[in-house]
Amino acid sequence: MTMTSQTPRELPHAEWGRVRQSRRTADRAMKIITTGFTFIAIFVLFWILGMLVVKGIGGLSAATFTAVTPGPGSEGGGLANAIVGSFVLTFLGIAIATPIGVLAGTWLAEYGRGKQLANLIRFINDILLSAPSILIGLFVYVILVEPFRGYSGWAGGVALGIIAIPVIVRTTEDMLNLVPAPLREAGAALGAPPSVVTTAVTWRAAKAGMVTGILLALARIAGETAPLLFTALNNNFWFSPTLVGGVSNLPVTIYQFASAPYENWQQLAWAGSLIITMSILLLSVAARRIVRGSK
Amino acid sequence: MTAVTDMTSAPSAPAIRKTPKATFDFVFRNASFLAALLVLVLLAGIMVSMVIGGWPAFREFGFGFITSSVWDTQNEQYGAWPAIVGTLATAMIALVIGVPLSLGIAIYLTQLAPPWFKGPVSTAIELLAAVPSIIYGMWGLFVFVPLFAQYVQVPLSNIVEGMPLIGTVLYARSPSGLGIFTAGMILAFMIIPFIASITRDMLEQIPSVLRESAYGIGATTWEVVRHVLVPQAGVAIIGAIMLGLGRALGETMAVTFVVGNANRLSASILDPGSTIASRIANEFNEAMGLQLNALIALGCILFFVTFIVLVIARLLVSRVKRY
Amino acid sequence: MLSTLELSPRTLDAQAPVRISVRNLDFYYGEHKALKNVNLDFRDRHVTALIGPSGCGKSTLLRIFNRIYSLYPEQRAEGEILLDGRNVISKDVDVNELRSRVGMVFQKPTPFPMSIYDNVAFGIRLYEKPPKSELDDRVEAALRRSALWDEVKDKLKSSGMGLSGGQQQRLCIARTIAQRPEVILFDEPTSALDPISTGKIEDLLEQLKSDFTIVIVTHNMQQAARISQYTAFMYLGEIIEFAPTDTIFMNPTKKQTQDYVTGRFG
Repeated sequence: MTMTSQTPRELPHAEWGRVRQSRRTADRAMKIITTGFTFIAIFVLFWILGMLVVKGIGGLSAATFTAVTPGPGSEGGGLANAIVGSFVLTFLGIAIATPIGVLAGTWLAEYGRGKQLANLIRFINDILLSAPSILIGLFVYVILVEPFRGYSGWAGGVALGIIAIPVIVRTTEDMLNLVPAPLREAGAALGAPPSVVTTAVTWRAAKAGMVTGILLALARIAGETAPLLFTALNNNFWFSPTLVGGVSNLPVTIYQFASAPYENWQQLAWAGSLIITMSILLLSVAARRIVRGSK
Repeated sequence: MTAVTDMTSAPSAPAIRKTPKATFDFVFRNASFLAALLVLVLLAGIMVSMVIGGWPAFREFGFGFITSSVWDTQNEQYGAWPAIVGTLATAMIALVIGVPLSLGIAIYLTQLAPPWFKGPVSTAIELLAAVPSIIYGMWGLFVFVPLFAQYVQVPLSNIVEGMPLIGTVLYARSPSGLGIFTAGMILAFMIIPFIASITRDMLEQIPSVLRESAYGIGATTWEVVRHVLVPQAGVAIIGAIMLGLGRALGETMAVTFVVGNANRLSASILDPGSTIASRIANEFNEAMGLQLNALIALGCILFFVTFIVLVIARLLVSRVKRY
Repeated sequence: MLSTLELSPRTLDAQAPVRISVRNLDFYYGEHKALKNVNLDFRDRHVTALIGPSGCGKSTLLRIFNRIYSLYPEQRAEGEILLDGRNVISKDVDVNELRSRVGMVFQKPTPFPMSIYDNVAFGIRLYEKPPKSELDDRVEAALRRSALWDEVKDKLKSSGMGLSGGQQQRLCIARTIAQRPEVILFDEPTSALDPISTGKIEDLLEQLKSDFTIVIVTHNMQQAARISQYTAFMYLGEIIEFAPTDTIFMNPTKKQTQDYVTGRFG
């Protein structure tokens, strides 16, 4: 190895220490501020969760899950009808949205490639994704509540379904796009028509991601309040099995009980808030886990 | 979920196998096409129902519906102006507070956070988006509002009282903690996760060699972010902000809890007011006749404003990546 | 193979002072040791090429000189790199200032999202506040030096991203030399360019060595032979042989070097 190892001679060069103090200060200030901002946001999240636990845990009891919501001025009570009603409405929404969302997402990913119409649908779907939910409530009121002269669980389910559809369309398409083309080609090479390739091969390959989309949609609609105000409404007793008339549900119950003058109502509002928030956060975390697992 | 499993196994089900494959192919293709078309139908349906539902109010008051400040259920006089102003004011306050916070969070996550800390922080920020609107309302009304009234509104009103301009804009006639500013503040935290996570993704998409070469010329982290990374992400960040704006304009429950629901227009941002969405949520179930039409007409205005904002947002964001 | 190499006449000055000397340098990606006990001297105003098969650590070594590796917390270096006698790896050296003295040109052209003028002025403005006329002069000088002036003098205010790949890379070189660094690091600067643009950059390197100490990583042996005075051959994180370029290509002492330069592996 030919290695020169002489000591470096003094060479002409600029003096060190040319970094202006103002640059260092600006840099440090930015680091402190952005870190502070991040911690403010995290702090708010934990503040909200802490508030729910502190105020909600006292309201939780066996009666919360067995007794119906109390009328004005009556003692005790629970949230049983509201919890069951929320389950019914949410799953009704998902049951409506899943076939439509999955099929629409499939069309965008499998049939619509390169078509102008597909681009338009994709664009509109993205807009629906962030459209104010109260407008969807108004829309369902106009098409389902007003013509049939009455609130119903069906209208509530449809409203939630409409909110869930764009979420499912979007994730379905994204997940199908991740399926490698050779897999489809291999299916087609066996002589399977496109529909069979899609249902038997592509869907199966993208299953985890598509389920995630549905879970995310579930988390999105489970806490929705505004669209239910004009559709499913709410009441303080068990709803009719036909879902005609008001169907009690957690979000609207919380809304009505939270600022009411009765202490047991307020207690129940906090308990309901704790239940619904924890369920949704667990759902979101679970959905994220599935996405990470499938990647 | 059940529906997916059913469909996945559908082709192997005997019932399908008996029918000619061409039929299933035809049905499947057209069913999925119709489902995709339904997305367009939904948006068109919302638009048409808002216009038709609100038409009697628009016909009755004409352009005055937008500019009038009167909301009188006794005399059937309705004007949207205070609600429009309230909607815009709360959304603007949300942006003024929320945008710097969101950009700061995105910068922290992409440039400063230690690797092990990134995941938990990202999850926490995204969970802020999962917290239901009504819970933000509860937090706002029962936790934030009393603190805000006691420690900000009262002292601030004492200080600014009598001053020109500031004495009007920042003076609370009844320091209840409720009002336009409080609503904007809560909205800020609701839009942060959306703006922050899109901005984070945009910054992460910038090739690392560009970042390295900016550092390579001797720039500090702040200079790299300010002069190179943010301009490079450019319009996409504006798109993310517009998306946040779209959220803030139509947000209902949280605002309804804390905005104070006053029908009059006040010059002070610390006074109670109302937004389009909060007024609909408050009055809709008791409304009849023309009032109902007026509320739907409010919804119609909200629809067109958010529609335009969201279209711009999507156009800007999609230049870099679909969201 | 050897006979086809066109070797430029060497203007090698064996008495030239050493600008950078590397002493007992180790480098780690997390647990993985990527460089093992590297010792090298880089002579002032000479071009030194780092060659070797991919993964041999030549880019890794280059990225230590301006501590760009420190953007990634899991990477660390141990040992000494003396720039004018000062150990640049030590914590008390301001990393930003180090980078203004040790410029770097990357594999892919990286124009910043600003005008051509601002791209070149960016680095100057960070460290100095020259009056407008002086700034104009320095921007022009840097652009002339990088053989770009004639192509861009009428559109200095337009975006640097609108230039062709080769022009963008020369813009990056102009941006670097405008700061008047002592050393310029080139990390495979022509690997993303067409042959004509590559030729222009190589001509440029020839010119630049009269003012700057240049270290270039290249996977292209002909390029190393054409433009450098010294060449270090690296393999598996170690310096196998370091010598004047002529020696490395015509008369290497190590078998591995000979195998590599004759194309038997890598």
